[in-house]
Amino acid sequence: TGGGSNPFQHLEKSAVLQEARVFNETPINPRKCAHILTKILYLINQGEHLGVMEATESFFAMTKLFQSNDPTLRRMCYLTIKEMACIAEDVIIVTSSLTKDMTGKDDNYRGPAVRALCQITDSTMLQAIERYMKQAIVDKVPSVSSSALVSSLHLLKTSFDVVKRWVNEAQEAASSDNIMVQYHALGLLYHVRKNDRLAVNKMLSKFMRHGLKSPFAYCMMIRVASKLLEEEAGNHDSPLFDFIESCLRNKHEMVVYEAASAIVNLPSCTAKELAPAVSVLQLFCSSPKAALRYAAVRTLNKVAMKHPSAVTACNLDLENLVTDSNRSIATLAITTLLKTGSESSIDRLMKQISSFMSEISDEFKVVVVQAISALCQKYPRKHSVLMNFLFTMLREEGGFEYKRAIVDCIISIIEENSESKETGLSHLCEFIEDCEFTVLATRILHLLGQEGPKTNNPSKYIRFIYNRVVLEHEEVRAGAVSALAKFGAQNEDVLPSILVLLKRCVMDDDNEVRDRATFYLNVLEQKQKALNAGYILNGLTISIPGLERALQQYTLEPSEKPFDLKSVPLATAPISEQRTESIPITVVKQPEKVAATRQEIFQEQLAAIPEFRGLGPLFKSSPEPVALTESETEYVIRCTKHMFVNHMVFQFDCTNTLNDQILENVTVQMEPTEGYEVIGYIPAKSLLYNQPGICYTLVALPEEDPTAVACTFSCMMKFTVKDCDPNTGETEDEGYEDEYVLEDIEVTVADHIQRVLKPNFGAAWDEVGDEFEKEETFTLSTIKTLEAEAVSNIVKFLGMQPCERSDKVPDNKNSHTLFLAGVFRGGHDILVRSRLVLTDTVTMQVAARSGEELPVDVIMASVG
Amino acid sequence: QVESQSQELDWRKSMSWVRQAQRLRAGLRVCRLTRCVCSLQSGQFNEDMIPTVGFNMRKITKGNVTIKLWDIGGQPRFRSMWERYCRGVSAIVYMVDAADQEKIEASKNELHNLLDKPQLQGIPVLVLGNKRDLAGALDEKDLIEMMNLSAIQDREICCYSISCKEKDNIDITLQWLIQHSKSRRS
Repeated sequence: TGGGSNPFQHLEKSAVLQEARVFNETPINPRKCAHILTKILYLINQGEHLGVMEATESFFAMTKLFQSNDPTLRRMCYLTIKEMACIAEDVIIVTSSLTKDMTGKDDNYRGPAVRALCQITDSTMLQAIERYMKQAIVDKVPSVSSSALVSSLHLLKTSFDVVKRWVNEAQEAASSDNIMVQYHALGLLYHVRKNDRLAVNKMLSKFMRHGLKSPFAYCMMIRVASKLLEEEAGNHDSPLFDFIESCLRNKHEMVVYEAASAIVNLPSCTAKELAPAVSVLQLFCSSPKAALRYAAVRTLNKVAMKHPSAVTACNLDLENLVTDSNRSIATLAITTLLKTGSESSIDRLMKQISSFMSEISDEFKVVVVQAISALCQKYPRKHSVLMNFLFTMLREEGGFEYKRAIVDCIISIIEENSESKETGLSHLCEFIEDCEFTVLATRILHLLGQEGPKTNNPSKYIRFIYNRVVLEHEEVRAGAVSALAKFGAQNEDVLPSILVLLKRCVMDDDNEVRDRATFYLNVLEQKQKALNAGYILNGLTISIPGLERALQQYTLEPSEKPFDLKSVPLATAPISEQRTESIPITVVKQPEKVAATRQEIFQEQLAAIPEFRGLGPLFKSSPEPVALTESETEYVIRCTKHMFVNHMVFQFDCTNTLNDQILENVTVQMEPTEGYEVIGYIPAKSLLYNQPGICYTLVALPEEDPTAVACTFSCMMKFTVKDCDPNTGETEDEGYEDEYVLEDIEVTVADHIQRVLKPNFGAAWDEVGDEFEKEETFTLSTIKTLEAEAVSNIVKFLGMQPCERSDKVPDNKNSHTLFLAGVFRGGHDILVRSRLVLTDTVTMQVAARSGEELPVDVIMASVG
Repeated sequence: QVESQSQELDWRKSMSWVRQAQRLRAGLRVCRLTRCVCSLQSGQFNEDMIPTVGFNMRKITKGNVTIKLWDIGGQPRFRSMWERYCRGVSAIVYMVDAADQEKIEASKNELHNLLDKPQLQGIPVLVLGNKRDLAGALDEKDLIEMMNLSAIQDREICCYSISCKEKDNIDITLQWLIQHSKSRRS
């Protein structure tokens, strides 16, 4: 297959390295040697592994080639040196030869010699060539100067301190007339200073004043400026923004585009700021250059996601691009129009795009899917048209990313509206009959297990699922077994058949499949709803890494008591359930892991403090620290609440922003309004200027009336001040006591509850049982809408997880039921079912269940 | 006579090797101190010459003989690489600083280590003691004794005391090199 065209195809490493011995012979045959070097480079670039010994042997043989003055051979030597620099040993042997070339008369050798030299030089040798590097940076030959600048940039990673001594030379190069040299010099200057905001700002304003020749340098300045703007968070009233905007009028298209792209990508950009950038992009839409049209329409497509109205002005230009001969441009134009156009144009545009769907690459097909997904949310009435389009795409050829985007989109449509559920599920069933992607197959099986049992005809899905057990490999088989069990747990009429099918799975070749089948079979055979709910429909809600650590701890310190699952920290509820509509489907949802690690860090920090040893496992940390001081005051104090079984720890992160004093022995005194009791303070020993410190306050939960969990604490920071000289840091020995009043801290019922997702709320409700059920009815007189006010307020107030997507209220409904799940501190599940009826005001009937009385009482007491 | 000692404190050595070339030209590869190479090549002497980092290659043509000189750095980290450039050469020139008696011992050990390599067996060696212009520099006899050259029995070995700066004995050194390239040809 094409073998005739590649003369290097059948190279063998050992034979090539054998040939390389020719390098030792005299006289040198440059053509032959250059050809052998090419072969060596080819092998390295094909991923062939060269051992240290053989590489070093060939490298030293290659050094003999420096006696030849053949220019081609010498250039091949430079390439070989760069490729072998990190494979062979003692490569610094060529240092003298390269320094000779870089300072020699032949300009063609000088640049490449600089690049090769910087590759072989380690930090100990760098000082020896420093003088040459400085000279090369300011060399009047552009290729030499550029080579030196770019090589210096690479050297920054290993030898920052040496390279930063070269800024004067780089500064000089930055005023070069050559566009590349200026660009590379600016790059080096920026990277030397990038950790020093002030210096970067200074550099930018200097170049803004003087102007630059190089469009590349302008593009880079725009990027740096927009990065600074982003860090400044929203303050667009700065010279940086003015600079970027002024670049919209630059004579180079490249710079104009870069500026427009920077503006539209700035977070929190207003319509007024956006307008000039969009009109520049609009002009590019009718450019004869395809690259410009592509760049413009691609950027407009992105703008349309956040600010569709800003792009509407370009609709006419975009319509012209729909028939562009470049399919990528056409796809982007159509998908942009789908986002900005009216509902009536959807059918026409979809038809247009389906005419060339087969001609575009997966990457653009994903763009189309994203556009459809956005449309589905905007125009629910168009579901059937869009769904059909998706199913057609699902049946056609395509890679994983593309298929995943389609499946994600279909799943979100199914979740959003119930009418499309049955069609959606049956199309997905068809898809997994011939699906090469394990991840998608298992995902769909999971969805079938969750949604299938609730449909009118569950048995129709069972056939598809069992086919997977027969036909697929083990991961899919295991997923199918779990899905089958969910049907059995919820539908009594299919249970006998499910038991038969699971019995067959017990004989599976794979461990995991067998284990699952055996486990589910035994649970189902008990025919107890509570077991089904706890072990099949709603899985474990604890954090898996937390379980691992707790079990390890248990084995290290064996005890008579059995292991208590309640001592394991809970997994925070997956974010995907709370997905808001504005986030496009391809955004990867992974905050789960981050949240877990944050609590883990707290747990470790707190466990290290002796006073907190007896508190038991950390139950919950408040998600975001709350500021107790106004911004821009003397001290910045932020509070994080940590909940334990019977105690709370308040963590205060304190920063002293006064450079003429240090604070010592800092505590935050707290005064509760309810039955809480302050037990002790762990002070921050000393707070130096701008160096954050932590102090803690330990509080016991109320004992007399345990349901009175909501409480307000007034807070006062107490400390000893010592004045110090901001310049020398010298501190006076004598200090004086002082106080500082902080904002109050609220503890609410939400602090005592961790949100937990129950995929099947009904089953969980039955599992907990009605032993401690309580029910009451309330009137919410100030609330006028269901979803926007009532539901979101309740969710926020109780801090519980909405289940079964019950936080979404269908349009035009006057009654709604909200299902909430959580775990109360101490480890008992707490479930709340809240029926809401909207008349003039909202009437709310709240029912709560738990395995213990206290959580139910707490909920009732706090709602009332 | 005052000479900046700082550059020369680092004792150094050089090796040379001579190899046959076609027709009337004999290729002689020499590896040795840059300063000496320069004297051999053109009679130049440069006070500021920086130490060789790695190697340098030069050619000298005298009449119908061309000598290739490979000048290899003497700093410790390059010593392990000497052998690579000595394989298959016509002669090795090893240069020491005769005025730096403290380093002679180390210098002797390095030479013997090098010559113990089986691949370099039988290659003629010329030991040069540089800086004979300085007071207190060792002469040939002292060098032979202190470098223990008489112990080297498996090859032709010769020792000259020279001065690159004053161009003392450069001519006989060159003569020796040319002889040894010719002797290989016959």
